[in-house]
Amino acid sequence: MKLKQLISAMALAGTVTAVAAAPQIGAPAPDFTVVDSHGQTHSLADFAGKNVILEWTNHDCPFVVKHYVSDNMQGLQQHFTEDDTVWLSVISSKPGSQGHVSPEKANELTASRSANPSAVLLDESGDMGRAYDARVTPHMYVIGADGNLLYMGGIDSIPTANPEDIPKAEAYLANAGNEVLAGQPVSKPVTRPYGCSIKY
Amino acid sequence: MTWRTLRQRTYYYLSVMTLRFLVLLWLAFLLAAPAQAVSTGWKEAPHIQVELVSEYQAVSPGQRFRVALHLLPQEHWHTYWLNPGDSGMPTQIHWQLPDGVEVSDIQWPTPEAFSIPPLMNYGFEGSTVLVSEVEVPADYAGTSLVLKADASWLVCEEICIPGDMTLELPLAVARQAVVSSNVQALFAQGKAAQPVLLQRTASYQVQDGVFSAVIESKDDLLVDAFFVAATDLVEHARPQEISWQDGSLLLRQPQNTYFHQAPEQIDIVLTSGPQSFVVQAHRLDAGSPAVVSAEFGFGAFLLALLLAAGGGLILNLMPCVFPVLSLKAISLANNSGDSARQKRDAWSYTLGVLTMFALLALMLIGLRAAGAAVGWGFQLQNPWLVGALAYLFFVLGLSLSGLVQFGSRLMQLGSGLGQQQGAKGSFFTGVLAVIVASPCTAPFMGAALGYAVTQSAPVALMVFLALGLGMALPFLLLAYSRRLARLLPKPGAWMDTLKQWLAYPLYLTTVWLLWVLGRQAGVDAQALVLVGLVCLAAALWLWGRQQLGKGFRLAPQLSWVFALLAVLLLVLLQPQSGQQEAVGQAHWEQWSPARLADLKAEQQPVLVNMTADWCITCLVNERVALNTDSSRQALSDYGVTYLKGDWTLRDGEISAYLQHYQRDGVPLYVLYWPGQEPKILPQILTPNTLRDQLAQLAATSSGG
Repeated sequence: MKLKQLISAMALAGTVTAVAAAPQIGAPAPDFTVVDSHGQTHSLADFAGKNVILEWTNHDCPFVVKHYVSDNMQGLQQHFTEDDTVWLSVISSKPGSQGHVSPEKANELTASRSANPSAVLLDESGDMGRAYDARVTPHMYVIGADGNLLYMGGIDSIPTANPEDIPKAEAYLANAGNEVLAGQPVSKPVTRPYGCSIKY
Repeated sequence: MTWRTLRQRTYYYLSVMTLRFLVLLWLAFLLAAPAQAVSTGWKEAPHIQVELVSEYQAVSPGQRFRVALHLLPQEHWHTYWLNPGDSGMPTQIHWQLPDGVEVSDIQWPTPEAFSIPPLMNYGFEGSTVLVSEVEVPADYAGTSLVLKADASWLVCEEICIPGDMTLELPLAVARQAVVSSNVQALFAQGKAAQPVLLQRTASYQVQDGVFSAVIESKDDLLVDAFFVAATDLVEHARPQEISWQDGSLLLRQPQNTYFHQAPEQIDIVLTSGPQSFVVQAHRLDAGSPAVVSAEFGFGAFLLALLLAAGGGLILNLMPCVFPVLSLKAISLANNSGDSARQKRDAWSYTLGVLTMFALLALMLIGLRAAGAAVGWGFQLQNPWLVGALAYLFFVLGLSLSGLVQFGSRLMQLGSGLGQQQGAKGSFFTGVLAVIVASPCTAPFMGAALGYAVTQSAPVALMVFLALGLGMALPFLLLAYSRRLARLLPKPGAWMDTLKQWLAYPLYLTTVWLLWVLGRQAGVDAQALVLVGLVCLAAALWLWGRQQLGKGFRLAPQLSWVFALLAVLLLVLLQPQSGQQEAVGQAHWEQWSPARLADLKAEQQPVLVNMTADWCITCLVNERVALNTDSSRQALSDYGVTYLKGDWTLRDGEISAYLQHYQRDGVPLYVLYWPGQEPKILPQILTPNTLRDQLAQLAATSSGG
């Protein structure tokens, strides 16, 4: 009888339940320890007291290209890093898969695109990406100075690869980041991320 | 050119050769039939070919016809569905068409699921036909029609390439449309790939981290997967749960992490082997009925008004109304030839009736707007109101029996027959007529009026007013038609006898109301009201004697004491729940905060079920998962007390309980197990949910 109860309890655990894997808004953001393109190791605790923006990226993804050829991404990076926010671009493509780059290539991409991230993290194992349940490039997160997750979702509201749509879109990430800087609650803390799948 | 791209290109050309035989065949046809262009021909884009095809080579004004965006991605490459899943982008078409030409949205084929752990995408591989319908206006004057489509897509394998292209397809416009026979196979392929629309009652909900849908499915349609045509409702990569319960298909999947808004209506595509179907599911809002009432057409509206007026006319013959009004009608009609006064009285009466009906309608609309799920007949759901109506009918009956004569201007019956009556008196007679009619309207017209009330407020009000007009119509006719008035018998001594006979329908109405009261509030409350009736009889008897000059000194005062006593008894009425009788046999008890607290204090396991009659999910759950033998057995095996709260009518205590669990609606199922946090069960229960949850709780508490 006891065994039977246990089995049915286990069967139940396998059925539909609320998602537990995804990070929660307002809860401490998942920690990470990842090496950047200059060989330096970063973890979330290093940035305690500062706002942190995470950008999952893949330089060949058309949805990422959309925001780099238009200089939208570089502009956001500059705007927020100037305001003492840490901007981390994260590459979670596994070695051998599309979007994976060497540290040299990563630095070259930063230079050639005039990008302004605080660091480019090479998450080859995908551990950091999975911890954040990052799905697409670009997938954006904002973490407050207290280490709590304040925003997760898309960069803006129009899920296309066309740079002409950027001015027409609602700038979800920019709005969330500015609200955090102004000390206000984020009005839309969760939005739909769009883009290419992350190649874990 | 790198080796990889060279290999890809070679592969690509080879794959086209070996691709769909039909497509090649069709290409051959196209080459053989150059007479009229019905396709733009294949246009090359990276990793995909596209073309725009028309079902007709010549179209005529007023015609509807199909056009297709035909996509042929390279082998292993795919484009995306309306809901692309976790990444990707649906194919889009922006049409540039001449003025007046309309085009539908894409009629999407049934998608395929592409699992790329941890993500899931929905889209199409191989030859994909995206059909839209074009409608040419009847007054289209041009001799040609250029279909111009700005198509954009994302084509992906491991990497994704966005593409866009403007496709232009000129068609001839002729009086006689000319079908393109060589594209019929393509449109047939497009049609075959689309899901078949099923007219089923379906609703869905996203709550507590779970997307759930209930689809009426009497034939137990075998479904192996479902696709939700909205982007951020379900967590696409998580397993789907599909089950059948007693004529309903239940679908569940965890809620999407990025869920923020549930659309009012969504399409759900169901696949069943090679077949696929689509149903439209409405969002089930907490605390509102799931079934959206049909819009009233104007014809239906007029019919409803007519029926209501007819119903009002019939009300005059009801046992509760007829005795009161018939004598009045006779007295009015014979009113010594003062036609102007008769007309004025008739209109005052009509105004009284309409005012009272308007008040009732507004009250009902207000109650519904406040969220109470009341229907017409709500006046009989309140035991005090039922008691008061019983008093009223009894008093009217005693008056007709001659125990007492009312000289008031409210009812001028009997002695007041010959008296002239003011407009005010007629107005209040109208008000009284509606009040005495109200218990009769409930059983006879409840359904029709209940329906009217589900419509918009102005429509509901009009229906009630039409009912009032119908009720007042006989009086208006009598005032305006001398001939009709002459048909009525002259008043005389016979009227006293008739009056006394007519008291009996009123007594019977009283009995019926007492029966309703007894069902509602129990036999004790009924006895209390019966004592109240005796007091009323005493009061009226004393008053009647006084009128005849036979009273003693304190008779008027004593009469008032009895009347007050009757009122007091009614006020003191303590309704005991009529449901308690049923509880004896049922496996549940009525919920109350006190009962729950007691059971928790006694360390008893408790199941709380908050439900309402208008909540479909609640009823389905009870039928398939709670009232089953297996669940009854589970409850008794684990010694669980099952408490049920009924939120059909708003109940403050239940609302507070729901709020405690961050809910603003039912169903809510909470399992209390001693020493553990209360466990909230899913909104959609399966036959095993309860037993499994109990097993789990029992296992954790004894094991941990």
